[in-house]
Amino acid sequence: MTGNTTILIAVILFSIVLIAWLVLRPSITATRGGKMLAFVALLIFPALAGGMGVNRHIERSKTTNFCLSCHVMEDYGRSLRVDDRSFVPATHFQYNLVPRDQACYTCHTDYTMYGDVNAKLRGLKHVYAYYLGKPSQPIKLYQPYNNRECLHCHLGARGFEESEAHTKDPQTLSRIKANQLSCSTTECHNIIHNVGQLKEATFWKEQAK
Amino acid sequence: MKTQTTKIERRIRLAGILLIAGLLVELVTLRWSHPTAFLLFLLLGGALMALGIAIYLLSIVSAEKKPSLE
Repeated sequence: MTGNTTILIAVILFSIVLIAWLVLRPSITATRGGKMLAFVALLIFPALAGGMGVNRHIERSKTTNFCLSCHVMEDYGRSLRVDDRSFVPATHFQYNLVPRDQACYTCHTDYTMYGDVNAKLRGLKHVYAYYLGKPSQPIKLYQPYNNRECLHCHLGARGFEESEAHTKDPQTLSRIKANQLSCSTTECHNIIHNVGQLKEATFWKEQAK
Repeated sequence: MKTQTTKIERRIRLAGILLIAGLLVELVTLRWSHPTAFLLFLLLGGALMALGIAIYLLSIVSAEKKPSLE
């Protein structure tokens, strides 16, 4: 449990105690002190607890465990542990090229002003499909994967800018940067999650620290 | 005057119960890492807390208004 969660739980419990006191003895609100107590207990603390709760839930929704908590995502989680460097997400995950606890979020949230909001709205659709509809199999992206999500980290990196494959044709780099030449659908980095191949795959076993 | 006080007390009690229910929903959903927990927190917990705060605010407004009418 993180420090923030502990503080939030303390705020919630303290609020409940204060409110319970008012519920049991509402007559104390007749005094000036009671009115102030009611204002704090029934407005300030619940608003604070609610705001902190929203923040906590949004932060948690960025975690890999959260994304993989739905059954339909299990194979995508397993694909992060494939022992094969040609699997792009697996390499990023195993070599700490993305934070492991936010692996999905790092590559699948648009790095734009409303990226987070759009992700949450799409998440609502996913919950609907999970309980009331039928999740599409296999899962597909809403739109072609944007190179921007790769360039967020790779742009300017020597391995990217000076790679032979990227510099052989002088047009290649500029086309990648303009999202005209996809990193993932061309034959260069096209082994992504490939969950259909997991039956034959071997998996990396993380050494205990 | 007695009736007025009782009415405010009843509203404060109702607001308090709704807020406690909302906070308990928040407490439970904090322990559960799943998209459903997020939705429960927002739709159920949020609604209970918003309603509780609204009823409390209503009780303040109505308590201020009544004497001026008399």
